Amino acid sequence: MFAYYFKLGLRNLRRNPALTALMVLILAVGVAASVSTLAILHVMSGDPIPGKSERLFVPFVDNGQPQEGATYDEPEDMQLSYQDAMNLLRKHPAERATAMFGTGMPVEPPRKDIPAFQAYGLAPTRDFFAMFEVPFLHGQPWSADDETRGANVVVLNRTVAEKLYGDVNPVGQRLVMKGEPFTVVGVLGDWNPMPRYYKLIGSGPATGEEFMIPLATAVRKELTPYGSVNCSQTRDPGYASLLASECTWVQAWFETRSGADRAELQSFLDNYANEQRKLGRLKRNAPNRLYDVMEWMEQRKVVGNDTRLSAWLAFGFLVLCLVNTVGLLLAKFSARASEVGIRRALGASRREIFQQFLIETGVIGLAGGLLGLLLAFGALALIGMQSRSMAAMARMDWEMLGMTFVISICAALVAGLLPTWRACQVTPAMQLKSQ
Amino acid sequence: MEIRPILSALLRNKTGPLLVAMQVALSLAILANALHIVSERRDVAARPSGLLDEASTFYFSVRNLNQDTPEQMLSTIKRELEVLRAVPGVVSVAQVSQMPMSQSGGTTSVAADYRQQRESGYASTYFTGDSLVKTLGLKLVEGRDFLPQEIPEVNEQTNAEVPKLVIVTKPLADKLWPGAPAVGKTMYFGTGDGATGAQVVGVVERLMSAHAELSDTGISSLIMPARQYGGGGAMYALRSEAGQRDRVMQEAEQALRKSSATPMILRIKTVEDDRKDRYRADTALSWMLVTVSVLLLLITCSGIVGMASLWVNQRRKQIGVRRALGARKLDILRYFILENVMITSAGVLGGVLLGVGLNALLVSRLEMSRLPLPYLVAGAVVFWAIGILSAYGPAWRAAGISPALATRST
Repeated sequence: MFAYYFKLGLRNLRRNPALTALMVLILAVGVAASVSTLAILHVMSGDPIPGKSERLFVPFVDNGQPQEGATYDEPEDMQLSYQDAMNLLRKHPAERATAMFGTGMPVEPPRKDIPAFQAYGLAPTRDFFAMFEVPFLHGQPWSADDETRGANVVVLNRTVAEKLYGDVNPVGQRLVMKGEPFTVVGVLGDWNPMPRYYKLIGSGPATGEEFMIPLATAVRKELTPYGSVNCSQTRDPGYASLLASECTWVQAWFETRSGADRAELQSFLDNYANEQRKLGRLKRNAPNRLYDVMEWMEQRKVVGNDTRLSAWLAFGFLVLCLVNTVGLLLAKFSARASEVGIRRALGASRREIFQQFLIETGVIGLAGGLLGLLLAFGALALIGMQSRSMAAMARMDWEMLGMTFVISICAALVAGLLPTWRACQVTPAMQLKSQ
Repeated sequence: MEIRPILSALLRNKTGPLLVAMQVALSLAILANALHIVSERRDVAARPSGLLDEASTFYFSVRNLNQDTPEQMLSTIKRELEVLRAVPGVVSVAQVSQMPMSQSGGTTSVAADYRQQRESGYASTYFTGDSLVKTLGLKLVEGRDFLPQEIPEVNEQTNAEVPKLVIVTKPLADKLWPGAPAVGKTMYFGTGDGATGAQVVGVVERLMSAHAELSDTGISSLIMPARQYGGGGAMYALRSEAGQRDRVMQEAEQALRKSSATPMILRIKTVEDDRKDRYRADTALSWMLVTVSVLLLLITCSGIVGMASLWVNQRRKQIGVRRALGARKLDILRYFILENVMITSAGVLGGVLLGVGLNALLVSRLEMSRLPLPYLVAGAVVFWAIGILSAYGPAWRAAGISPALATRST
């Protein structure tokens, strides 16, 4: 009977085109609004590295100036000083560790027809690539030896490599950056974690950093940290004093073998902090913290208040559309009271009527879902105009596509419950009598 | 006024009226909050920057690729400034370390007395080697601008010299020294014995910070004299004559590129674009809320019209009988409009309560601000009007029903 009711439902859509069109449109608009905001929420709060997100940790020690009567619950800056980052990387118990900062360098392309440009990049240590599972199109990360020497090696991202070298494999080529030749050792494949969780403070370009060089190299060339540099005390000028100061501008990550090793990492952090306190640093005596990937994204408020507001608004809107649909369905079904009466008189049970009308509602939901999907794409495009990083996130994946239809059909069915139940209550005798 | 009969008729068949009332309530609650947020965001994005003519102000970030010594970089900067000043249509040029609303810049803590326990606040730090006041067209309300001899040349890599003079913005001056003139006072960069100070020589009325924060810091800025060099590049702010910005931008860029033997990386940005970028998210949210509000009104409207039409159809016979018994068209019209007003009123009442509740939720969970009463009142009035107007069409059709046709039983 399902197929029959389905065909009947489709046919009845044509019966009162204006009313049906209105119903489908309103349902589609509600579904589009909900799905588009839900898609963004899904991208923003989804786990960017499932399977590893509880094994990657951001360490934090508070090296700010002590302030009377403050509780240090919300530190101004959650980055580390260079000294702290280097110390933590030296003696840690974790499987892997990395420290990084964002920077920029002028690039002089090998081809004369491309003008020089300022490129934005990252200066991590080599464990970065293994820790974040960064794919390589050509080549590989620099060697440990390159890292210790602070050699002039660079990994380019795919876009820049194609811009400079076309389709040719550039590994081994020289590229002049900030006046010195760098050897290209690798080209990254497509790597677009959303959000770019590895560097949430002072994030780089929304499309990803254009190059990566060893941290030691960046320090040797005295590259200015891009992003956020937070100095709680005055410091002497010059790069050497930046490295020695309490200014925070480096971000670090640890990778443990399993989530259970967290306690060990925490005690390592606490011991380190106590050691430093004996040397007269870390005067605030604030608790030392570890954040795994999801906790870090929460701390950095990746899902901002505006996104939450949009999601709530969209659902409120969907509820309104639902209530409206209930009214319209009531109108639609009440006009068919005589038809129901005849069916019941001929022997259909209440259950059959219920099935018929519920499936018809489902058909409306399906139509609403189709139109809603189109509208949702439009809505995502509009939302993407907010900023480049938002444009990268306003994407629909297969999961969301399926969700559109689920939401639409469920919404229609929920809306249809009351009108359908009403339709079943029709007493055949009354209907047959009136004419 | 037949309120009792209408009321008892409504109570007998509650579903339809309840649905309409729910739609009105939900729409009103969402609309009032949405419009309030739109108004707030618009206000934030419209905050004046303090510049005389934003549309004519722009800046260059220049980076030379040759490996110069710091002294060579200094003479390059001086040369580039001369080149820029010579471009026709340029009113003023200044070397500057950051620009308002550019979302890139430095902030420092400030205190009126270094012995304080906590800093008085934060301020955005502008360093300039020329007259930033003149170039940005800032309004001096106290004191004066820096004299050329007061602007030291500072090698960023080696010079530990801290500026001795500073120009502050009025809101910062009022915060540090309420009620007293600021000129001549000393301001400290932070607290504690190691904190250095600078003397205030002037106060400008308004200069937005580089990050344009929503807090006080957004309008607390410091201008300090220093011709900074040795960092590998420089930033120049320019103001052109009104209406000439685009032409002057082009000519200035060409002049700069021609003046250098080696290629340079040049980044050009206008203050207008900086403003757009800074408030892009707020503007987008505003548009989204406005779109949703319009859709809300349309949907509620259609809901009311739909329901009213349905009831008219259901009560054809009743209307016919009333007319046959002597009711005028006006009576039928009035009946239906009154019925709708009652339902809408119930909806509006529910909506006001729901709106306040929704706002409380937004305040507690999403850090939004309290909804002022006028929004709810305005929303209520709007929905009343919509209720009456929407019902008018169906009510008019009801009034037009011919008694003879309606009372026929076949």
